[in-house]
Amino acid sequence: MTDLTREGIKATVGEEMVKVTVDGQEFEAPKGQMLIQAAQNHGTYIPRFCWHPRMRPVGMCRMCLVEMETPKGRVLITACTNPVADGMVIDTKSEVAKKAQEGVLEFLLINHPLDCPVCDRGGECPLQDHTIAYGPGESRFVEEKRHFEKPIKISDLVYLDRERCILCARCTRFSDEVSGDPLIEFLDRGNFTQINTFPDQPFASYFSGNTVQICPVGALTSKAYRFRARPWDLVSIESTCPHCTTGDRITVQASQNEVLRFLGVDAEATNWSWLSDKCRFGFEFIESPDRLTSPMIRQEDGSFTEATWTEALELVASRFTEIRDAGKGLAVLGGARGTNEDAYALAKFAREVLSTNNIDCQLDDGLDPQFLAATADRARISDLDSARTILVWGPDLKEEHPTLYLRVRHAVQEKGARLVLIHPWRNGLDDRATHKLTYRPGSGAALLTRLQSEEGEVATALAEGPLVALLGRTGYGEDGRLAEAVAAHVRSLGGKLLPLARRSNVYGALDMGLAPSLAPGRATTDNPGKNAAQILEGLAEGSILGLLMVGSDPVRDVPNGELARQALEQARFVVALDQFLTDSSRLADVVLPVEGFAEKEGSVTNVEGRVQKVNRVVPGPGQSRPDWSILDDLSDRMGRSINLVSAEAIAKEIATEVPAYVGVTWDMLDAEKDGVVVPLPEATQPLVYLPADTPGKSFSGELVLHYARTMFDDGVLMRHGPSLEHLAPGAVAILNFDDARRLGLSDGDQADIKTSQGSARLTVRIDPSMNHGLVYVPFNQPGIPSLGSDPVVTVTKA
Amino acid sequence: MTYPLLVTKRMTDFPSDSHTLERYEATGGYKAARASVGMTRDQLVEAIKNSGLLGRGGAAFSAGLKWSFLAPARPAYLVVNADESEPGTFKDRQLLERDPHQLVEGIIITAIANEVHRAFVYVRGEYPKPARRVQKAIDEAYAEGYLGKGIFGSSYDLDVVVHLGAGAYICGEETALINSLEGLRGEPRLKPPYFPAAVGLYNKPTIVNNVETLSNLPHILNQGIDSYKGLGHEADTGTFLFSISGHVKKPGNYELPHGITWNELIFDIAGGMRRERRLKTWIPGGASAPWFVPSDHLELPITKDDTAKAGSMLGSGAVVVMDEATCVVRAAERIVRFFAHESCGQCTPCREGTSWLEMILRRIEAGQGREVDFDLLLDVSDNISIGLAWPPRMTTICPLGPSAVSPIISITKYFKGEIMTHIHDGGCPLPA
Amino acid sequence: MSGLGAFLRGLRVTGKVMVNTVFGDGLVTTKYPQEFRQKPQRFHGRHVLNRYPDGMEKCIGCELCAGACPARCIYVRGRDNPSDEPVSPGERYGYVYEINMLRCIFCGLCVEACPTEAITMTHLFEISTANRRDAIYTRQELLMRPDGSVPHMFPDDPLAQLAELDTADGWLRATAPSGVAAYEGVQAWQGTPGPASWAPEPTQDERDA
Repeated sequence: MTDLTREGIKATVGEEMVKVTVDGQEFEAPKGQMLIQAAQNHGTYIPRFCWHPRMRPVGMCRMCLVEMETPKGRVLITACTNPVADGMVIDTKSEVAKKAQEGVLEFLLINHPLDCPVCDRGGECPLQDHTIAYGPGESRFVEEKRHFEKPIKISDLVYLDRERCILCARCTRFSDEVSGDPLIEFLDRGNFTQINTFPDQPFASYFSGNTVQICPVGALTSKAYRFRARPWDLVSIESTCPHCTTGDRITVQASQNEVLRFLGVDAEATNWSWLSDKCRFGFEFIESPDRLTSPMIRQEDGSFTEATWTEALELVASRFTEIRDAGKGLAVLGGARGTNEDAYALAKFAREVLSTNNIDCQLDDGLDPQFLAATADRARISDLDSARTILVWGPDLKEEHPTLYLRVRHAVQEKGARLVLIHPWRNGLDDRATHKLTYRPGSGAALLTRLQSEEGEVATALAEGPLVALLGRTGYGEDGRLAEAVAAHVRSLGGKLLPLARRSNVYGALDMGLAPSLAPGRATTDNPGKNAAQILEGLAEGSILGLLMVGSDPVRDVPNGELARQALEQARFVVALDQFLTDSSRLADVVLPVEGFAEKEGSVTNVEGRVQKVNRVVPGPGQSRPDWSILDDLSDRMGRSINLVSAEAIAKEIATEVPAYVGVTWDMLDAEKDGVVVPLPEATQPLVYLPADTPGKSFSGELVLHYARTMFDDGVLMRHGPSLEHLAPGAVAILNFDDARRLGLSDGDQADIKTSQGSARLTVRIDPSMNHGLVYVPFNQPGIPSLGSDPVVTVTKA
Repeated sequence: MTYPLLVTKRMTDFPSDSHTLERYEATGGYKAARASVGMTRDQLVEAIKNSGLLGRGGAAFSAGLKWSFLAPARPAYLVVNADESEPGTFKDRQLLERDPHQLVEGIIITAIANEVHRAFVYVRGEYPKPARRVQKAIDEAYAEGYLGKGIFGSSYDLDVVVHLGAGAYICGEETALINSLEGLRGEPRLKPPYFPAAVGLYNKPTIVNNVETLSNLPHILNQGIDSYKGLGHEADTGTFLFSISGHVKKPGNYELPHGITWNELIFDIAGGMRRERRLKTWIPGGASAPWFVPSDHLELPITKDDTAKAGSMLGSGAVVVMDEATCVVRAAERIVRFFAHESCGQCTPCREGTSWLEMILRRIEAGQGREVDFDLLLDVSDNISIGLAWPPRMTTICPLGPSAVSPIISITKYFKGEIMTHIHDGGCPLPA
Repeated sequence: MSGLGAFLRGLRVTGKVMVNTVFGDGLVTTKYPQEFRQKPQRFHGRHVLNRYPDGMEKCIGCELCAGACPARCIYVRGRDNPSDEPVSPGERYGYVYEINMLRCIFCGLCVEACPTEAITMTHLFEISTANRRDAIYTRQELLMRPDGSVPHMFPDDPLAQLAELDTADGWLRATAPSGVAAYEGVQAWQGTPGPASWAPEPTQDERDA
């Protein structure tokens, strides 16, 4: 409701310019812009606590009081709630304004505890800074301050200290307006007003960490950073988030060579300073004691022993050479989590040294590489803001693409776009959807055919542009080709597309040629190799003998994990380049430690084709090395040198060799704040879309499995982060009441879930919002085997 | 001396059953509403504008003018502000309890004038009996076809809903009331927009009127504009309900025209001071208003303009009279404590400032005052209400914060000696 | 004044000291280590981490000392105070505290920066070590014992003057009353609130005497 009732102050910034005078300086600002912003753009900083450029004004803290000339004399107004108007004359430094600002600061401080020395915000605290710049110097308050219980844990990640809170409503507005989980609110009133959660309901938002970043005092602190360092001993370097494909800009902060914090950067093109908790707190794996520090070779008995680099590389080179020269198959899996430079090195290594096109950076959970990399009418994220209609037919954005979720939410809520949401089940955007369609996985093609042929509200909405479509696989039971068919329809309507895939740098990896059918630069290869599923099948049946895994964990990450396990066990020789011993690299013959995020420099490419830098902040642990250097060393030892000397040299090679990336140098990326969107070679990359009625996987079972990811799961990066490892929701099977009754199941029962590719015993939960004939099981939960990508499922009471 | 009665006439003449429909209709009730069904918006707005009727909720803004500001968007809503919570005010309670049909008729007239088909009566949470009486009156009106579908046989629909508040003074502020009605926290909204008539309840144009204002409407239409104006005094047309409380012999509600003097009000009409003590000071218009003292203001005529010129307001007509045995520090502390307790907590100066002022006053009263506290009181007040002027120059969204400053301005202005005695003698010189 | 007069006048102090040294006992140097000189009140010696009388540590791990240190020789890390067995009052305590005495310039800025008066300086200055590792003082070496005594690195060393550790350096706070007649008899030299304290400001009579 809030968005409706606060409508009155939601200023619409127009094109028209008006003349404003602030402190005697006259300038022009767009009509409707808030005075505080207009003044700041022209060099006058007006102090503020509650105002935030990405949220609606509330005018609560009263810090931005300034004097305005009116025909009736001067009046005090808040600069954050008054849009500029023509002929406005403002004095921000008059005696009256200064006194009012001083007064507000003194009021804020009378009940603010002076525990700055132990406060995480001390040193970077807006209240401290404003007190020094605008404050009265000393307090006249001699009474007892207001007391509350010192920090209370309002979620697994966030602590709340209500004594420090200055009630600016930033956190409540964020969770209400921006993230759409209004889980913290004001309680009580007057001097006893406090921020708190609802009784028995934790602040379990996927975006809770943002409130810590925007809190103008140390009232909200995060568990992960709590007391770890003080702001003045942090080294801050900008980089790009290693977790999802949006390419969120972050500041990596480290002290004593230890990464301690990620902060969101307000990048206009991508994340607007917001981050999901998975990203914000997903830095702890970097410092994990479980990181690999030296090469390991598996012994006969299955145990690993540490080896020198020479030993390990010699072994790998000789075995790979042997397999290659015998003309047997070699394959490469992974590479979508690193940098473009490493991906380029890997593609070159695979094609030139291993002589194979069996390369896949997606693990059987994505879309066709041609479609992902070479969609000619690819949208930009910012197109969402000007869209009339947004179609989301893909994964639950809130779970898998959190920052895109925020952008879609903003476009619908604040810019008035219409949202057509198509998903098998409940979805994070349900409350904002103009039209919501649900369907059973496997029948998507039929739904699409209906959408194309029938007249109706949804069809009308889609026909009215500008249309932006976010397309992907809603779950693993879904055929990847469905998204392409939908894309064909969207294209016929003149819409733009954002094809969604997983793993932070999957688009960059595909651009560098880490796909069976793509050469570097989105060019099609003549002789396509095998994709991930085919590679695993080949390994399992013996047609492929050797495998190189680069930062991939097929056993946990491929929908059919059982197949992956068999493949790794059957393979003659497996090498893993990894940061950890994962369920997959544990099965490898040689494991080589690599440098990971924040330990190497390079570039990455996001969902819209935007190339941005990632930077080195800390050294890698032990003897770890960057991927390219290991591959270069191996290539020498295998007699076909790929001649790589440094990441920067590779970047230069990419900038000359890879068609779409020509001219994209590190210097350019360092200079452009928002990175560079690489050109999409429309003319050279005609895409063949599948007809819309191409059927997905056929199925005949009564129950269909909706098998999709949650934000927190048992992924290796989360498993090694103390803050995140407990957050996986755990495996359950969610059923509709009718289906459960038919199967003789009630809430809390154990049931055996079985597909053609796997089975698991899970607790049953009954959810009235679940569709008939559908079972939802979250993917990759701790301790649960995978169920595969076959949507046909049987559920029996255990 | 007696003055003609208007809105309290029925309850004065028929104290036992003035709230019933039979009595109401027997004394000319619903005649004006019936007549207004056939009138256009322009006619009605023009009539009320010409009558000079001023809002009785405290701000004394022309009711007709307010109606004329109604934005063209529809639906529009009418909200009756029956959240009477200004300390010292109890006039609406009597109107709600003793003559609810008069209010319902006022609602019908206002609704027609503003093309409203849904009205809300927001009754103060501590008023269960008045709420019941209003609900009953509404039920009766529905049964008679005066409300609901096609009122008085016309094609006009009007629904009225009674909503009980949850005990917050601030919900008497119209935008906070609207928030509360919508189910949000009772916090005043940002201005601009200055009037709910532009953007109000559920984001639609909304008329918010006080109970007494609406109760006047049937009389204006029944007896004509000139006759109505004749009851009043110059710009302050009609009658005005004074709620007199405190140390007078006959406290209560009095319906009076403007223009009489304070002397007449306190000593003639309210029967003079209790126990024959001397008048020390009085609050002329509710707890938010700066105080008056006998030496300066006793012969002042009670009109909107004269009161404003003397630096105070008539507000909702609550007159609180204090005699010489009253400790002004304690009185001010009580009022400030009220405002600190009722502050919604939104704006920093009000939230922190009012409770700080309360603490300082309590300290002075307890004998722990310091020499600097006198200036501190004034300076803290100044930070809430810049310049300590009247009407206040606010640093806050709504006038609640500056209201808490009024008693402090008054006691520091008229009773500095008494405050200093508290500070120097280590406590209150007056008996507890 | 003539040139010679000025010349002799300038040599007067030199002459006095020379005569005193040769004929009297006015030696400028002392026979260290047989003799120890009395150190001035404000002498900045080795640091000590203090405790409250109830045994709680004063250090809250706020790192302000490290931030103030011009030689960057202090390394502090804070941590959540265990609520069942708190180390210091409040939410946070310093669980790593190290001073590299080789880098320390004994400027005392850490003492001024400390918000809880946890770190103060003593008069101990014999802290030379035979290897660099020993020059890094950790919490173990710096922290006062629960009984209020301060551990010495080499208590058995003949040079060790244990009493020096119990002597806090003099510390003139910005608000110190010294020089104002009204503060006569009031403790002026604030011995840093370490193990010792200082006599009050002398009265004018005492000064004149």
